[in-house]
Order: sequence, then C-alpha cells, then structure tokens
Amino acid sequence: MSDLMCVACGVRYAYDIDPCTFCGASLTEGEPSPAIVLAVTRVDTPSTGHEDAPYWCALVKSAQGAQAIIKFDRPVEVDDEVSTSVSGTVRTYVVGIVGSGVMARGLSEMLLFRGHRVVWVGRSIGRLESARDMVADRLSRVMDETELDAAMSHCSVSPSFDALATCDVVVEAVIEELIPKHETLLAIERELPSHVYLATNTSSLPLDALSDGMSIPERFGGLHFFNPPTRMRLVEVVRAPATVDATEEFLCEFAQVVGKVPVRVAAGPGFVVNRVLMPLLNEAVRALEDGIADAESIDEAVRLGLNHPMGPLALADLIGLDVVVSIMQDLHARLGDEAYAPRPMLLALVAERRLGRKTRSGFYEYA
Amino acid sequence: MLGYVLGVGKTRFGPSSHAMPRLAHEAIWAALADSGLAITDIKAFVVANFLGGPNESQLHLNSVVAGLFPGHRIPGWRVEAACASGGVALHQALAMLGTYDPVLVVGVERLSGPPGGVLTHNIGMAGDVGLDQAAGLTFPASYALVAQRHMERYGTTTADFDAVSLKNHHNARMNPLAHFHHKTVTQADIDAGPTVAAPLRLFDCCPVSDGAAAAVISACPRGVRSIAVLGSAVSTDVISLAQRAEHTTFPAASDAAAEAYRQAGVGPGEVDMAEVHDCFTIAELVAIEDLGLAKPGEAAALTQSGATALGGSIPVNASGGLKAGGHAIGATGVGQVYELVRQLRGEAGERQVASPRIGVSHNVGGVGGTCAVHILGRRS
Repeated sequence: MSDLMCVACGVRYAYDIDPCTFCGASLTEGEPSPAIVLAVTRVDTPSTGHEDAPYWCALVKSAQGAQAIIKFDRPVEVDDEVSTSVSGTVRTYVVGIVGSGVMARGLSEMLLFRGHRVVWVGRSIGRLESARDMVADRLSRVMDETELDAAMSHCSVSPSFDALATCDVVVEAVIEELIPKHETLLAIERELPSHVYLATNTSSLPLDALSDGMSIPERFGGLHFFNPPTRMRLVEVVRAPATVDATEEFLCEFAQVVGKVPVRVAAGPGFVVNRVLMPLLNEAVRALEDGIADAESIDEAVRLGLNHPMGPLALADLIGLDVVVSIMQDLHARLGDEAYAPRPMLLALVAERRLGRKTRSGFYEYA
Repeated sequence: MLGYVLGVGKTRFGPSSHAMPRLAHEAIWAALADSGLAITDIKAFVVANFLGGPNESQLHLNSVVAGLFPGHRIPGWRVEAACASGGVALHQALAMLGTYDPVLVVGVERLSGPPGGVLTHNIGMAGDVGLDQAAGLTFPASYALVAQRHMERYGTTTADFDAVSLKNHHNARMNPLAHFHHKTVTQADIDAGPTVAAPLRLFDCCPVSDGAAAAVISACPRGVRSIAVLGSAVSTDVISLAQRAEHTTFPAASDAAAEAYRQAGVGPGEVDMAEVHDCFTIAELVAIEDLGLAKPGEAAALTQSGATALGGSIPVNASGGLKAGGHAIGATGVGQVYELVRQLRGEAGERQVASPRIGVSHNVGGVGGTCAVHILGRRS
C-alpha cells in the first residue's frame, strides 16, 4: 500500500496519487517504521484467495500515524509491535533462474511482474536474450512503458553461473533429464556462497540423485512450480534427504512472498500432484482403448463429474505425451505399480511422434 | 417536505429459486398496488443492486428491469454502493423528483448462487481491493475489528452482542417476510455457534438473502396512506478502516444522520423507531450511537435495558433487522423503508410498534464507507 502525505494540508492518502487533491502540493512518501497492533481478528472462514483460514487480520498503526490491514499466519495481539512495514512494498528477492525453456520464462515473468530481481543464466546467450524478449513482450500487455522499463531493468542475463553469487535463491529449470540437471546443479552450486539457497524445479526426478556430490546439500530442496507459473498457485516444496529445516522454511516463505501456496512434500516419486495425476491420465487412456467413450466424452465426463477445469486427455496433450510417458515410466520403475505403466495407446502415439499440442496432434488434432 | 412514499412492496428475504427479474417484479407489483398507481404512471426508475455482475453474470440491470414493463420506455438506471445501494437509490430518486414524478425505486439481489468462499470474496468487494481484500479482510473480519475496538474502548461485551441477536431474532418471528421467520433462536443456539471472525460468532452475523423491495415516491401525497419523507441524506467516507482515525463510529453515518435530522427539524429524542443496518450485532450498537439514540459507548446499556425491544422506548429493528430479517444486499435499504412505511401506517401486524409518528432508517455500505439515512413521518 501507499502512505502519501500532503505536508501543506496534513492529509493522508492510501493510494499512489499526486498531487494533493485539496491544495495541489506534491505528496511525500512516509518512512517505513514499526507498527503497533490496534485490533486483531482471527478469521476462521476461508474465501477465494484466502483459503488458508484460520489466519489473523490486524489493523496496525505506525509511529507516524499510517495505518494498514495486515494478514498474519500466526496469532498477534493488541499492542504487539509488528515488523511488516506499513508504507513499504512487499519484500523483494534476487532470484537466479537457470534455463531458458517454458518454465524458466514463466518464472521470470512472474517474478519480474511482482517486482523481484532476476539473474537469468543459461548456456546460450542468444537463447536467453530471445527468452528475455518474449518475457518483455508478455509483460508489455499488462504494464505501461515506465513499469515495463523498471521491471526489465531488474532482469540481467548471463551465460556464466558466477553471476548467481548475488542471489538470495537460485531456481534451476533446465531440461527434465537426470544427467543434465544433475550436472547443471553441481556447476551452479560451485559458484554459490554458502548462504544462497538452491532449488530445482524438477517435477519428478529423485532429489537425492540430483544433490549427489553437492558440497552443502543442506541448502538444497525442490520448488515445483506448475505451468504457467504466472497463473498456477501451487508450489510443491520438496524436502530432500539432506534438506534442513531452515531451507524448507525459507523455500515456503519464498513461495508465499511470490504469491504462491506452498505445500510441503517429501521427495517421494512424483511428489503429490504427478503421483495422483498419472494414474488418472493412464486410466482415461485405458477407457479410450476399451471403447468406453470417445475422447471428447471422457474429458467432458471428468470435467463435469469431478469438476476438473480440463479433461485428462486434453491435459495429457497439453503436457506433451512424451513427457507424460517419461514421467509414468519413471514412477513405474520407482513405485513398481502397474497403474503407472504407460498404456499401449500412449506409447503408440509417442512412437508416431503425435505428442499432443506441440506437434498439433495427440488425442486431439490441433489447427 | 422532500417527497412522499406512495406505496411499498417487498418479497420475503431468504433463499429463493426465483431469478432477479421475478424477485424485482414481485416487489414492484406489490408497491404499485400499494400506491394505487399503474406502471404506466411511473416516469423513471432506479434499480439498487450490488453483486449482479459477480454473482449472476448480470449487469445492465436497468434494462433487465425494463423487461418487466415492455414498451413503457422511461429513464432508468442502476445504483451500486455496496450494502447501501438501496438507501442511496432512494436518496437519488428523491433528488430527481423535480425532473421525474413519480419515481419507482427497486432493490434486488441474489446471493444464494455462488458457493460460500466465492460469495465471501464477492461481498468483500465492498472493501478496498488493495487495502482490505489483499489482506484477507473479509466482511465479518472488518466488523470484528470494529467490535474489538468497541469492546476495548467502552467495555462492550459479547453478552451485549447476544442481546442484539436475541432481540432481532425474536422480532423476526413476528415478520412473515423475514429470513428467519420460522426459526426460534435461544442463547443456547448462540453459544453453540462457531466463530466466524473473533469475537463475532455465527449468530452475530446476518444471513445472506435473496430478495427485492420497491417503493413508489412522488412530490405529492395520494391520500392518507402516503408517508412523508422528512429527511434524506447520504454521506460517503473513505473505504477502509485503515484510512480512518475512528474505528468505533462511522463518520459517514453520524454526518448523514445530522443532515437528515436537520432537514426533518427533529432530533433523535423525537424518533419513535429505527430500522438500522445490523449486518453484524456490533453494527447495531454502532448505529444506535451514530444516530444519537444513545451516547457513544452507551448503546449496549440501552439494549440491555430493553429500550430497543418492541414495546421499549425506542424499538430498533422491529422487522428483525438484517440480522434475522435478512440481508438481500441491494434490496436492504429499500426494505428498511418498507418496514417504516408499514409501521407508520399501523399495518405491521403482530410486530406493530405502538403508534409511531417518526421513524429513521440507517443503511450502511461496506464498513462505513457509505451511509444513507432517511427520516419518515406519518402525516398529520
């Protein structure tokens, strides 16, 4: 929020405006200062955007007289001094993003939109620059030129991992394959001071294998964002065998500050979402193989009957059938459950290079 | 004299399967019949509504309402001022009387559509998107903060809140159009209610209702059943508690009350009954103080004394209020005037206040961002 004051009239404004509506004088921004809780209520009923009830809403007042409503995930009491700055903006992080694919772009866009700094590293400076241009183009649809310039000035690109040394946290988002991911993580870690947290955005690779050989595996964990990260609210915060509490706490707090809802999970195969999703996708394919219904009907039944926003076959097409098969094969190998063994129709489509939307053909045809 | 209420109509407030047009029609038809006028006599209309867009995907409500009288093409528009939409619409209609006469005012709302979490969010749109909504300050949470401040400053207790709730539920049992007409509420029910936003529990909160209410107004009375509008005032304040120095009173309400009393040439001591905006029990106590019916901090004692009950010296919310009568948001402010008109005419049946001459209605939007106060008087 803003805390703007007219020195001439003494009027306070909660909105980012200028000049004073009464006298035309230029408004000045209040200094951030500690605030005292005037009143607080514990909210027990969840609502859209605030599903995390119970939480606490406090009316706070700073020494300068600025007031705000602040949400807490813990009890606070009247007269408590709270550190959250009344007039300042939310905390900003310097975040390292490694990779230049879809997830890396989405993460950079989401972070820059929210005012964080991004140090973007990848092997090819050319690909990074074109990825950065794509992000700028996306942001230009929701920001004016001044805002866009400010946001993009917070984004630096580099082909060298040593640029990541100034970050608070680095999120690795390179190709979803064990060997390149592992090598990249080790190369990043060598350049990081000991206080910088390191996270992988893997959706299913084993974290113990990814952290093998790290010098400080305690500061490493998983931050599994979902595509597109600008819109999907979940982050699976994954605890690897060596991850310490402080790392898990930081990753959860980071996820919350960037506007996500963290769910803590152990480093088991597929975490929660893919572990639950893959048998569903596989079963939808089996229903199609068995002639229970056509693809459109299966998707419509699941959408309307289970209240999913998208049917499983359309979702598989969106994820990419090769990616789906690879995740299923990995989960099948590690869990040993036939529910995860990709169905013959899925394997056949991949063999025909019908991989879903990206090849314009999968369970559906795309124009 | 600002004008006269020629006729009023109201649906039951409460869950309904009827769409907004049918709800509005029921209230309009009743108000026209009550006024003795035909729809073709009406020269303009104002529709009060809050959440037609988010809840029902329906905006452009003036044109929807025009579909209730096809071919009778007259000026009409929608007023939105959160929960004060109805009172503000009535004020606006009165201000228009020099140009159009008579004017129809109809408030309509449907709240039973969206699931709970979505509805809570939508109602939260009455708060500032950045200052309040971002912090999860739901509507009950806003009033919970007011309650906390009031308790701290004046020693008000949850037992005082319970007294408001019990009184209004008692009154609603005598109002066939009330949301909780069929429900008896005891102290044990209140004690068993879950906390919504501390210290407010379930029975401190009004229900969300579907419903409509309508009134026909004119500069000229039509016979003895017309009720005079002696005062009509609206005041608008900043939207968030975070923008206000005072949290135990709503300056917009006390300002609007002062202006309405000035117009009417009466003081709070001459008011015989009040219909106030008790969206939460604490809100009734704040309303009583803002209207000057009790000094700041003394509404709880006034309530505990029985003075605000039916048969007391200043009955408050004889209808059951929002708390038990129901809160069909856009219709609420018009519904309050419906109650005053019926009471002032002596037509309120079982819940009739003993020969009231002057009644006041108090309709609040958000957590005091808007307030409309009307003072109505029996002729003669």
